[in-house]
Amino acid sequence: MIFAGIDIGSTMTKVVMVNEQEEVLASVIGPTGAEHRHLALTVIDEAVRKIGISFEELDFIVATGYGRINVPFADKQITEITCHARGIRAIFPGARVIIDVGGQDSKGIKLDSEGKVADFTMNDKCAAGTGRFLEVIAETLGVKLTDMGALSLTAKGYVNISNMCTVFAEHEVTSRLAEGAGVPEIVAGLHEAIAGRVVNMVRRLGFEKDVVFTGGGAKNIGLVKAIEGKVEFPVLVPPEPFITGALGAALLGKRFVDRGMTRDRERRLEGVTFFS
Amino acid sequence: MNDTQRYYAGLDMGSVSIKAVLVSDHRLIASEIVASGGKYRDAARKVMDGVLAKTGIDEDRLAGMIITGLGAESVPFDVPQVSDISCQAMGIHCLFPSARTVIDIGGQFTKAARITPRGRIADFLMSEKCATGSGRFLQVIARILQVKLKDIGPLSLTSEHPVEFSTNCAVFAESETVSRVAEGAKAADILAGVHRAMASKVAMLAKRVKMEPDVILTGGGGEDAGLALAISDALGIKILVPDQPRLTAAFGAACFAEEGVVQQTLRGRSSVGP
Repeated sequence: MIFAGIDIGSTMTKVVMVNEQEEVLASVIGPTGAEHRHLALTVIDEAVRKIGISFEELDFIVATGYGRINVPFADKQITEITCHARGIRAIFPGARVIIDVGGQDSKGIKLDSEGKVADFTMNDKCAAGTGRFLEVIAETLGVKLTDMGALSLTAKGYVNISNMCTVFAEHEVTSRLAEGAGVPEIVAGLHEAIAGRVVNMVRRLGFEKDVVFTGGGAKNIGLVKAIEGKVEFPVLVPPEPFITGALGAALLGKRFVDRGMTRDRERRLEGVTFFS
Repeated sequence: MNDTQRYYAGLDMGSVSIKAVLVSDHRLIASEIVASGGKYRDAARKVMDGVLAKTGIDEDRLAGMIITGLGAESVPFDVPQVSDISCQAMGIHCLFPSARTVIDIGGQFTKAARITPRGRIADFLMSEKCATGSGRFLQVIARILQVKLKDIGPLSLTSEHPVEFSTNCAVFAESETVSRVAEGAKAADILAGVHRAMASKVAMLAKRVKMEPDVILTGGGGEDAGLALAISDALGIKILVPDQPRLTAAFGAACFAEEGVVQQTLRGRSSVGP
């Protein structure tokens, strides 16, 4: 049997497929465009091709992420908090606190000893402390977002960024550049600022071992180091931090089927073109 | 010009623009506004030369002068300073003796102050942490819409269906604006939506200083009729806007000079509070 999880995030859409042994068969990541529905199918189509089956053969599809309601062919929709928690527990069974920095929000999730979600906190109201903050400033600095992590590791110290508001921070960065501050030191300062904001938010849940950092932000080694510097426990990062939500969705799909739930209708595919 | 008349100058070094006024007998004689362009010293000289040239008064003949605003430290004049919020309150008090609350929306910061019947500060708050309540928010959106700053107000007033943004964050609203424009939303409706978002933030600030009527709106935000209306709606009361809302702090500085709050030019630059 094959179970698919699809996570439609604000910037990236992720698909993971697992089998009955809970082994990952395929994972695909693509940028989330304005056309969620279309993209969801494109990404899922790529994943089924990878493992050489047809879309119809998928036993259960769970959609998650902020765009989850735009997946008409999903058998169930589950919040990303639950999916992230399930995905992280599959990778790190001892996880108790999850820090997630996504493209447009940041979250903290507290798990109980059984791995159930005990509490969570979230900022999706403001770009401060989200991937968006870094994206905007990267553009101002003329640095590729994917280069920010490595660049910040070459910094000698960091420039203190006092504004948390992205709009004001952009202005502040321009002034620091004009004063002659180095780009690596500024980037390191931005990571410090985001880490401070996110860790303060998550601290309300109470830090406990194991602490896991996930989401697109965890791809940034500079941000990982900055967060590590502010948490009193070692911070674990999954090998592929983008896909933990989709992985959790797929695994939850398997649990539904194990409990006797089946897909109860034909998958609606009308109006969608497959790329070949 | 009457030779026996005494003239007082007020200089307001704002984050975006620098304002100079000449006052005599608490009446505005002349004013000048220039963009700071990040060069406070040059701009300060330029704006003072401009306002003096308009009246033909020699700088030596000024009976007093006071400087205020964010960039007051970096001016080439050896004159005393008074904080911008005190000057704002003083200026407003002279123009509207019934004023009890001042909301100032500048290029970078938004401030709310409750003032006493004598024009002194009773309570004061500033929003500097988030761009949503500030003029920067409007500038960012106006740039995407390619609308000139002075056209924002009139255009917003024509809106019939203001856009409701899903968040109040200026950065998220920026990307939302791009998608709404792609979906065919009108610039007027987007601007009216921005005005509402700003107004809700400004209203929070005004309530926290325990706003009392009359409420006066000053700063560049006062030149935006759409914003003024949105703030009035959000507060649920009528608000008053001076003729030249960007000049009120400079005017207040000149009034302080005239009242002799600071009796003489101090050596060096010291901050002097009323």
